[in-house]
Amino acid sequence: MGSSSGQPEFDYLFKVLLIGDSGVGKSSLLLSFTSNTFDDLSPTIGVDFKVKYLTIGEKKLKLAIWDTAGQERFRTLTSSYYRGAQGIIMVYDVTRRETFTNLSDIWAKEIDLYSTNQDCIKMLVGNKVDKESERAVSKKEGIDFARVYGCLFLECSAKTRVNVEQCFEELVLKILETPSLTAEGSSGGKKNIFKQNPAHTSNASSSYCCSS
Amino acid sequence: MERREEEQQKRDDSRFNQTLKNVQGFLKGRSIPGKVLLTRRPDPTPEPISPTYHRSLSENDAGRNERSENPVEVNDFEFSSSSCGEGKLRELYWQVEDHNSSKKQDNTYAGKLRSNSSSGEQLAKQVQNLKIGGRSSDYARVMKFNKVLSETTVILDHATSVQATYSSMKASVLLSSLFWLILFQPSLPVEKLRELAWSGVPHYMRPDVWRLLLGYAPPNSDRREAVLRRKRLEYLESVGQFYDLPDSERSDDEINMLRQIAVDCPRTVPDVSFFQQAQVQKSLERILYTWAIRHPASGYVQGINDLVTPFLVIFLSEYLEGDVDSWSMSDLSAAKVSDVEADCYWCLTKLLDGMQDHYTFAQPGIQRLVFKLKELVRRIDEPVARHMEEQGLEFLQFAFRWYNCLLIREIPFSLINRLWDTYLAEGDALPDFLVYIYASFLLTWSDELKKLDFQEMVMFLQHLPTQTWTDQELEMVLSRAYMWHSMFNNSPNHLAS
Repeated sequence: MGSSSGQPEFDYLFKVLLIGDSGVGKSSLLLSFTSNTFDDLSPTIGVDFKVKYLTIGEKKLKLAIWDTAGQERFRTLTSSYYRGAQGIIMVYDVTRRETFTNLSDIWAKEIDLYSTNQDCIKMLVGNKVDKESERAVSKKEGIDFARVYGCLFLECSAKTRVNVEQCFEELVLKILETPSLTAEGSSGGKKNIFKQNPAHTSNASSSYCCSS
Repeated sequence: MERREEEQQKRDDSRFNQTLKNVQGFLKGRSIPGKVLLTRRPDPTPEPISPTYHRSLSENDAGRNERSENPVEVNDFEFSSSSCGEGKLRELYWQVEDHNSSKKQDNTYAGKLRSNSSSGEQLAKQVQNLKIGGRSSDYARVMKFNKVLSETTVILDHATSVQATYSSMKASVLLSSLFWLILFQPSLPVEKLRELAWSGVPHYMRPDVWRLLLGYAPPNSDRREAVLRRKRLEYLESVGQFYDLPDSERSDDEINMLRQIAVDCPRTVPDVSFFQQAQVQKSLERILYTWAIRHPASGYVQGINDLVTPFLVIFLSEYLEGDVDSWSMSDLSAAKVSDVEADCYWCLTKLLDGMQDHYTFAQPGIQRLVFKLKELVRRIDEPVARHMEEQGLEFLQFAFRWYNCLLIREIPFSLINRLWDTYLAEGDALPDFLVYIYASFLLTWSDELKKLDFQEMVMFLQHLPTQTWTDQELEMVLSRAYMWHSMFNNSPNHLAS
């Protein structure tokens, strides 16, 4: 879809999803990444959406990033957005321990349930490292979690912008190294990304067709 | 001396009765023109009313049954009402002015207004014809209606220019006195109040009017104070029972809920500095937690925090003067803070009683209204609906938040009060009427939407360009919603097909 005429202005389009407990800073992280600003934000209701263009190496990339609400009540709504995502960023707040423990209790299970893409790249991000004195989750615990669940890991601060760009860039680099995902994201396959079709989430196998 | 006062009192009474008759006459029937004929000009006077007037009213508030406020003499006060359906008002103005022989009056002006009113009636007839003879497609009906509407608007605009000297200030004075007439009746006619409040309530009357519209304050004036006192006490007791506890006496779920509320309060309406005050956030927390504990079917859901804010601002306005950003909660005694919180709590309770399934598991109430919105938009503006569908845009992707936060996130906070006048006036019918308001809101950008692709549309709809909106744009959304509602609501096929 999108601009109907002429060449697409990018080589790849990837769908990225942000998940994690309410108040860990998903929207702030996204705002920090897309517009270099930090602002007080209202809690996300349902989903929010932003686009960011990146150039990595010689490749022009377009990221369509869905930012989901963290509160449990919205989960029926947010669950349909896992479909077709090439990257999923799990965010927790290093100063609130329960946001970290909920990753294994809740969020990793959500991915298993709703992600349609077996090769989808996962990234664990500990936010709010600017509040070092209030830290409640050590860096080592983050690394251990990432090892168990097979995901990338970084600590960052949406406020000071430390590591913010790296979060997304490392994720994208990893996606680019995965042939099945780059096949989906190349200009021809981009249609799938926008078409939301929650009614067919059970029919997961169809999204693998282009990975072979 | 005494006799003169008595006479004055008698004269006031007879004027009162006369105007009341007119108001009652007006309130019967003619509902369509008032709400539809909407060509109001932006009011140059800012919303907050002058402190003098404010004070005189609080005194009046204390002695409710003294009918000291003569509706005619209210003229001498200066205040703004940027919030009134002007078509309706103009008509009213002429009616009362007609009877008001003690005022200097320009007969030509009155005559012109009268002819103007007859055009209003004509419109009402045309509307009816449209409804009866509605065999043509919905889209065509809307087009036809719009045409009728714009013709009438021209006539009204002319009348508006004639009455240049009779500024909208006078109209608002009149509106104000109409409210007083209703508010002072021993047994308050709630339906009439609803009708009047629909087009906007003068700011300083909102606390009283909102309490009544929500059924928190009883219509019977004799019982009113006692009921409010009892309810406020009940709130205070609930706070003691549920909120003022150590965590050790809470369940895990309750601890989690309180934690969630505590995370959200500091980020409620972050662009209004008043809400950054720690005491304001504490009040919000108490109200929300007490509400959530007492409504276990839904518990606290994000967005409900937004819904408390209009109540908080309005009920605080009874005690704090000037601009909201200049308010300080610490100026208030604990007792007053508690009363304000109680009013917010009960009004929130009443408001959400009619939307219980909006916040329960999977939020079926909102899902249903989003579906209805999609269907209605398809009926009204097929090209836009088709474009959205072709682009793969789901209504849930933007309208979910509209319903969940009742549009608080989508328009400037200063306009929310006006929007809520209409919400609360709708009462039990609100959920269904929201569909019409939101269709009208969405189609404000009908032309723009058709030019956007999926991605642009999502981003556009999540950050709508309403930052510069005034009451005028909002009034337009509301009056169009009213128009569509009167066109479609009685049409049995309206959500079928």
